[in-house]
Amino acid sequence: MEEPILRYEKIDFLGEGQFATVYKARDVKTDKIVAVKKIKIGSRVEAQDGINRTALREIKLLQELQHINLIGLLDVFGQKSNVSLVFDFMDTDLEIIVKDNNIVLTPANVKAYMIMTLKGLEYLHQNWILHRDLKPNNLLINREGILKIGDFGLAKAFGSPTRINTHQVVTRWYRSPELLFGARQYGTGVDMWAIGCILAELLLRVPFLPGESDLDQLSRIFQVFGTPNEETWPGMKNLTDYVQFKIFPPQQLRHIFSAAGDDLIQLMESLLALYPPSRCDCTQALQMPYFSNKPAPSIGSKLPMPSNLSKIETDKPSLKRKLLESIDGGSLAKRLQF
Amino acid sequence: MAGNFWQSSHHQQWILDKQDLIRDRQHDLGILSEEEYQKIFNFFASIIQVLGEQLKLRQQVIATATVYFKRFYARNSLKCIDPLLLAPTCVFLASKVEEFGVISNSRLITTCQTVIKNKFSYAYGQQEFPYRTNHILECEFYLLENLDCCLIVYQPYRPLLLFVQDIGQDDQLLTYAWRIVNDSLRTDVSLLYPPYQIAIAALHIACVMLGKENHKPWFAELNVDMDKIQEIVRSIINLYEMWKSYDEKKEIQPLLVKMPKPKPAPQR
Repeated sequence: MEEPILRYEKIDFLGEGQFATVYKARDVKTDKIVAVKKIKIGSRVEAQDGINRTALREIKLLQELQHINLIGLLDVFGQKSNVSLVFDFMDTDLEIIVKDNNIVLTPANVKAYMIMTLKGLEYLHQNWILHRDLKPNNLLINREGILKIGDFGLAKAFGSPTRINTHQVVTRWYRSPELLFGARQYGTGVDMWAIGCILAELLLRVPFLPGESDLDQLSRIFQVFGTPNEETWPGMKNLTDYVQFKIFPPQQLRHIFSAAGDDLIQLMESLLALYPPSRCDCTQALQMPYFSNKPAPSIGSKLPMPSNLSKIETDKPSLKRKLLESIDGGSLAKRLQF
Repeated sequence: MAGNFWQSSHHQQWILDKQDLIRDRQHDLGILSEEEYQKIFNFFASIIQVLGEQLKLRQQVIATATVYFKRFYARNSLKCIDPLLLAPTCVFLASKVEEFGVISNSRLITTCQTVIKNKFSYAYGQQEFPYRTNHILECEFYLLENLDCCLIVYQPYRPLLLFVQDIGQDDQLLTYAWRIVNDSLRTDVSLLYPPYQIAIAALHIACVMLGKENHKPWFAELNVDMDKIQEIVRSIINLYEMWKSYDEKKEIQPLLVKMPKPKPAPQR
C-alpha cells in the first residue's frame, strides 16, 4: 500500500450505496481505469467494529476467486479508519441496459448475457459460495461486452448443514419462494431462481415479478407458477414463515413469453421451479439445448452499450473535429483538394 | 471456506520456504536464539488460545488467529508491533472473517485485561494490559495489509476428520490427533506445509503414542511425500522435547525483556 491516495486519481463520482461510495479513478501506476469503492465508516458504534464486515467479506472471497465473469479485486488500501477496495472498472450494468429503450436486445444478446452469468456463477458455486444478491444491477458489463458478477457484500460459504443462514437476503423481486417462506437452510437454488427472474426481465424489459411486499411477492409467483401443495413441494408447510395462499392454477410460460422459443422456455421453467431441489444448477443449465441451438450468442464486441456511453465515443471525436476545423480554418478541405 | 485449497491464496502465496523464513527472521535471531524465539511464540500462542477460549470462540477461529499472528511475524520483526497488541488483533480479525458472532471491542479489551491479570501474571506481574480500542483498530489495518489481504486460512481439522473416518472411526485416535494439531500451531508447520500433510503427521504421532500398529497399512497406502510428513513430525516432536525441560512460568519474563521492541514514541 504505497501512497494509495496518490496512486489513484479520482476522475468521476459513480454512485453511492448503503455501505459505500464508488468513484471512477485512474491508477497512476498502471494507467488503468479502475473503480474505487470507499466503504463508509458509518456511526460511531460501527466504527468501533473496525474494518467493515461487508468489505471484509468481499476482500476475503475475491482474494480467492479468479474468473473472467467475476469482478476482479485489484487492490485494497486504507487511510485513517477508512478502507477502500479497488476493482476492475465496468462501464455499465444489465439494469441500465434493460431500461434503455434505445437498445434492442436480440435473442443472441440475451443468450450471451446468460452464458456469461451462468459461467461466473458456476465457478462461484463450485467454490461453495452463494452470491445471495443477484440482480441486473449487480451484473456489470464493460466496453468489451464482458459481463462480470459484482458486489459480494452478501456472499457466503454454504454447504455446512449445521449453519443457520438468514433469509433476509436477495432483493425482493429476485427472491426465491423458499427464502420468502423463511427458509434458513438453502443452497444454490436461491441464486438460480434469481437468474431465472433476470432472464425473464431480459425478455420482458421490465421486472418480471415486482412484488410490493414479501406476501405480494409470493402471491405474484404463485399467480404465474400455480400455488404449490404438499405434493409438489414436500415440507413447504414446515418452513418458518409459511402461510396458506389462495389456490392459483399454473400458467403456461409460453403465453407470457410469446416470442421465446421452446428451448428458452425449457431453461426458464428449470430455473424457476418452485420446489428448490427441482431447480437446475449452473452446469445443468449450460448443458441445455438452448445454449447449443441457434442463434449463437453474440460476441462481446457486438453486444449493445447504453446510448450515453456510445455517445461519448461518437460525440467526442466529432466535437474535436469541429474544434480542429475552427482552429485550422479549413486546412482539412485544402488537403482534400490535392 | 470450503473452496479449492490448490487455487487458494493459502496454497499459492502462504506456503513459505524454510530458507526464506530463516532469512526473514535474521534480525530477531541476532538478538534471540532460535529456541528463545520459539519460546516467545509459544507464549503468545497460549495468549491467543486462552483469549479465544474466554471469548467462547471455536477452535477453528483460534487457529486462524494464530496463523495470522505467525504470518505477520514471518515478514516482520517482533519490534514492528508489540505481540501483546497483535495477538488480540488477530483474534478480532479472525472472528470477523470466520463469521462466528460479534466480539465487541470493549469486550475484547476487558477480556484481555482479565486474562493478562489472572492467567499471565507470571509474565507481566502487576502490569496491566496497556492497549485500548483505538490501538486494536489501527493495528487491524497493518495486519490486513501484511497478510496481503489473504484472510482465508485452511486448517488441518477438516482433513483430519476425513482421514479418521477413512481409517475407521476411532474417537480416541481423533482426540489425540486433534490435540496434536492444536499443539502444531506452536511450531512453524502452519507456515511451511499444507494442512492435509499436518493432519497426516498428527495422525502418525497419535498412532505411535497409542501404539496403534494396526493402522500401518493405511499409512503405507497413502500417496503422499513421506519425507514432508517426517519433517512435520520432527517439528512437533521437537516442541514436545522442549516442553519437557522448560518452565515457562520461570523463564518467560527475562525473555520478554530481551525481546526486540518497538521504539517508544518520541517525547513531546
